[in-house]
Amino acid sequence: MKLLTKTTIYFLLAMIPLLSVAGFYLFKQFSKKINFRSDKELLSEEVTWAQYLQNEADNGLSFILKTPDIFIAPTGQAASEAPAITDVNEFNTKEHHTVFYRQLSQIITVSGITYQIIIRQSQEQKAALVADITKTMLSVFAGLFAATLIFNWAISKRLWKPFGQSLKKIRNAELQKMENLHFEDTSTKEFNELNASLNFMAGKIYKDYVNMKEFTENAAHEMQTPVAIAQSKLELLLQDTNLKDEQVQSIMEAITALNRLKILHEGLLLLAKIENNQYSTTKEINLTKVTQKYLQLFNEFIKDKQLSVTVNYETDFIVKLHPTLADSLITNLLGNAIKYNLTGGSIRIDISATKYLISNTSSFDEIPKERLFKRMAASKQSGETSNGLGLAIVKKITEANNLHITYRVSDGWHQFEIEKL
Amino acid sequence: MKILVIEDEKALQESIIKYLEHQGFVCEAANDFLAGKEKVTNYLYDCIVIDVGLPFGNGLDIVKELKFMESKAGIIIISAKNTLDDKLNGLDLGADDYLSKPFYLSELTARINAIIRRRNFDGNKAIVFNEIRLEAEAQRVTVNYKPVNLTDKEYGLLEYFIANQRRLLTKAAIAEHIWGDEYLHASNYDFIYTHIKNLRKKLVDAGSNDYIKTAHGSGYRFTDL
Repeated sequence: MKLLTKTTIYFLLAMIPLLSVAGFYLFKQFSKKINFRSDKELLSEEVTWAQYLQNEADNGLSFILKTPDIFIAPTGQAASEAPAITDVNEFNTKEHHTVFYRQLSQIITVSGITYQIIIRQSQEQKAALVADITKTMLSVFAGLFAATLIFNWAISKRLWKPFGQSLKKIRNAELQKMENLHFEDTSTKEFNELNASLNFMAGKIYKDYVNMKEFTENAAHEMQTPVAIAQSKLELLLQDTNLKDEQVQSIMEAITALNRLKILHEGLLLLAKIENNQYSTTKEINLTKVTQKYLQLFNEFIKDKQLSVTVNYETDFIVKLHPTLADSLITNLLGNAIKYNLTGGSIRIDISATKYLISNTSSFDEIPKERLFKRMAASKQSGETSNGLGLAIVKKITEANNLHITYRVSDGWHQFEIEKL
Repeated sequence: MKILVIEDEKALQESIIKYLEHQGFVCEAANDFLAGKEKVTNYLYDCIVIDVGLPFGNGLDIVKELKFMESKAGIIIISAKNTLDDKLNGLDLGADDYLSKPFYLSELTARINAIIRRRNFDGNKAIVFNEIRLEAEAQRVTVNYKPVNLTDKEYGLLEYFIANQRRLLTKAAIAEHIWGDEYLHASNYDFIYTHIKNLRKKLVDAGSNDYIKTAHGSGYRFTDL
């Protein structure tokens, strides 16, 4: 939910009880005023009637009046000192609803005759008042709602502008260019605090990134040097003409193992570098060309396995990709298509403007989903020396470069498809 | 031919020197930046092998110094930091070649030979091994002055064999030299056999001795011993 929506909701939620209390208070006040006025009217009416009764009495007449609103009749009860004014209600049988009245009742003695006087005044207008107040409150509420929305929108747009700018900068931030990332001061204290923290964080991230980069390079240095020493010693040892066959064999195995270590290390280093975004580029490369290059380079393997290669270059497949990664991507995919192929099998490469599809025949089963693209999770069934990094590297390269790779087996073809996102 | 090896890893330095001396080079060594700089300013070498990461300085600065002195020595940079930056920097500064660690000693020897041959403008550029003669510029091969028609790969193989004559060369090293880094990932090197068989046949047919010896299981040796 947007912050603006939230503040509006909270504001309105707070307004409901506030407005209800105000409405109730208004009602109470008005109702008090209305009662006061109708009581005055009732009293003056009574006085008028009392005078009238006095006149009639002077003429020697007794008087009886019975209307829905006024009841005047002689009574046997004792006279009351003051008029009693009360609220009464009566059920109107004709109209089937209760009618509220303000009622004055007094027993007075006029020239020796005791009269009971009851004067009623309908309280209909009081009901109308409630309706009026409710209506007014609702319209005030609606007005406030609209005003709140408009003001909130206008204010928040103005107030949050620096925040939006910072957010945009964060979104567009690139690890390698973090050094130049700076969040300017604003006129809002809170945003200044935020921007100061962001500046600090960006600086730290950049420093960590540089450290990491240096660490990767140093790790490479530290690890490759002992491998280089071991390899050179074995190569020299191999030159000894007095070696027995088994000894030569042992040295060869040691050399092969070192080779694997070297490849493994290069693979891990490459993955680390991709993760560190050390291969970002703005230049485009044509994977069709790269594929042609490696088909030539791998010609010996292809001939050796008697593979038939079909290539459908519909068009160039151009992507924004660092040349090192493009090489790695194609060597891994094409290398696998050769390595895990049958002798006398086939490779098919279909390239369109948005899709790059490489398919190969194979005697191997489909790669299980849980192992696909995972590091060091390669199948041991192949019997080939595999470090299990190839597909992890392929996946990482595609992920880091707006490409999407899928794998499937159909009609005995193992297929890897790269799509542009 | 005089070679200077500037490498701080003593064990690697010794391996390099031992192998190069076997191949007939005269070698000197320097253990750090200062010793290396002193040697290159005071003596002349045909080729200098420089490690990038050295105590007391960066190997690339020695390359700068050599270029400043307008030295005619060939320069090979060796670095464990397999970064493109190092490679491009090195080559930009005027180094002739770049090798990342670990490398085969046979590969280093082949590269040194190639550099020296290229730099040897006034001298004889031909490579001679008994009755076999390679004219590098024209990629022409003769046996007893009779031309032999070789493919690019066969020529590369022969050149590599002669640079590393009498040494046992592993199939992996041969494949990496002729076919490139990508062949590191190969699981078998059977395809080399065909090319070597053809080269051997062409040379013998042209009247050369059969110098290519198979060391079973491990590789090949090009030797007249």
